[in-house]
Amino acid sequence: MASQSRAVAAPPPGAQGPGPMPTAAVDALDLALVRRTAGMLPGEHRGLGVGIGTELAQLRPYQIGDDVRQLDPSASARTGVPHVRQQVPDRALTTWLVLDLSPSMAFGTARRLKSDVAEGVVRVVSRLGVRRGGRVCLVTCGTGSVRALPPRGGRRAIGAVRRSLEEGVATDGPAQTGDGLAAALNRLRGMARQPGLVVAVSDFRDPSDWGRPLRALGARHRVLAAEVNDPRERELVDAGLVVLVDPEDGRQVEVDTGSKTLRETFARAEAERRERLQETLRRAGARHVALDTSADWLLALGRGLA
Amino acid sequence: MSFASPVFLLALLLLPLGVLAQAAAGRRRRRFAIRFPATGTVAAILSRTPRWRRRIPALLLALAVTALALALARPQRTVAVPVEQATVVLITDTSRSMQARDVQPDRLSAARSAAKAFLAQVPKQMRVGLVAFSSTPYTVERPTRDRETLASVLDSLTADGATATGDALDVALDSLTERRNGRARRPPAAIVLLSDGKTTEGRDPIEIARRAARLKIPVSTVALGTPDGTVPGGPFGQPLAVPPDPETLKRIAEITGGEAFTVDEGSELNRIYERVGTQVGTRPEKREITAGFAGAGLVLLAGGVAFALRWRARL
Repeated sequence: MASQSRAVAAPPPGAQGPGPMPTAAVDALDLALVRRTAGMLPGEHRGLGVGIGTELAQLRPYQIGDDVRQLDPSASARTGVPHVRQQVPDRALTTWLVLDLSPSMAFGTARRLKSDVAEGVVRVVSRLGVRRGGRVCLVTCGTGSVRALPPRGGRRAIGAVRRSLEEGVATDGPAQTGDGLAAALNRLRGMARQPGLVVAVSDFRDPSDWGRPLRALGARHRVLAAEVNDPRERELVDAGLVVLVDPEDGRQVEVDTGSKTLRETFARAEAERRERLQETLRRAGARHVALDTSADWLLALGRGLA
Repeated sequence: MSFASPVFLLALLLLPLGVLAQAAAGRRRRRFAIRFPATGTVAAILSRTPRWRRRIPALLLALAVTALALALARPQRTVAVPVEQATVVLITDTSRSMQARDVQPDRLSAARSAAKAFLAQVPKQMRVGLVAFSSTPYTVERPTRDRETLASVLDSLTADGATATGDALDVALDSLTERRNGRARRPPAAIVLLSDGKTTEGRDPIEIARRAARLKIPVSTVALGTPDGTVPGGPFGQPLAVPPDPETLKRIAEITGGEAFTVDEGSELNRIYERVGTQVGTRPEKREITAGFAGAGLVLLAGGVAFALRWRARL
């Protein structure tokens, strides 16, 4: 099993789906997200250059090639020279979604799997992203290669995201080079030229060095890091002598979970790991939202954004 | 070490069975391995404790099983037990050739001190006789437990005269057989014959040796001295060569079933006397040492259990 390379499979066994997403809750989340990404929406943020919009940026003399519909009668009459209006561009927000589909996401011991929560986050954020003419781009990693859907708006984007999500997560197998979270974020750096919103959904257990590209992205974009975790990953339960197998590298470890010392050490080590994760995210300028498979993730997402 | 009931050594088969059972349990656990994304963290924690430490309880239990299985087979140790009535007769040559100084300080003194050391060292119950001879066996001490008398007799020996090995051997045999008369069980006996030269007078020692062989009394022989040993006093004032005669002595030892030694050093002589004394004066006896094994097994068992509880909180 461990030697097999990864491939996208059907939804993992035990997948519960993201659960209900009430419209009221999504709308409330919209507000929270708008507040978070404020400054990138029409009128709140000065876009680069000029473009189609409603707010006047400048008047300038007509030049051959200008759209005659933009001629400003008053200015032309006042000056005797034909003038055209130019507006501040209405900048539609592009939401870049980075979704980790590595095998470790197909794990969950509470209400649903981590991949279910991640799927829910991607759905909600993509639904919000296409509002106000926004565009959505989904980049997935962990399935053997980094894949990116082209940025799209409207129902087509929603459909594309849904189809991509339905493919499920990767089967167990070792990670491949150029397949980690770092590769996906690097890919995104090349794609996302205009400032936008980057939402990374992962358990951030990725061994690749994703902190550096995330910091680079944070310099230009608003970055939201949705960390999905499971209560069993924070502390072990007393299950006696068990063999644990890592879904990513197939490593087997025989461990006596009956030992209280071991359980405490594990909890401490995991807490330290999460502290380091928070520190990395903070330095990247990303907003950290922790989602738990045992709780209402939609609520947690809203609280994290509020 | 031997075992009184070696059939119980089959209990040692529990060890490979235990190993197999462990392996089977491990395989079963691996078949039902739990998918766990945080395995890396667990592995990092486990790698902090060295692998051998996790194996200590199992190792101790295996050793305990081994010790208990051995105890079940009733192990015995062979110990040397002093024999009642054991008798050794030391025959010491005191011919003039014993004055030769090729052995430090001279042959007679070396033989004397070795014999004294022998007396001090042999078990108290052992009877020791002494026959000193030159032209004839002139001093005959019957086998006795009185060490002091023998020591004083040894001190009084002087080296002079010829060598009548055969007669001396005969006398020694007589002194041993006297004690045997009217006894159903013969106490073990042995003769140590120390000589430094050819038999020059009396009977042929080989014949006497045959008699000793019939009586089943082993005669261990010691040829003392180096081939170029000399004493003063040749017919014309020149030194007289007094080489030992190891061939005859060896022959005597062969016939009687004893051991033959050739010695040119006093300390070596001590060792030979000691050895003969041990051979005759003690009897190998098997003593059961089951208790020690069972105790060790229990201690190991307790240790294994304690370690298991301490480190793994389970048996």
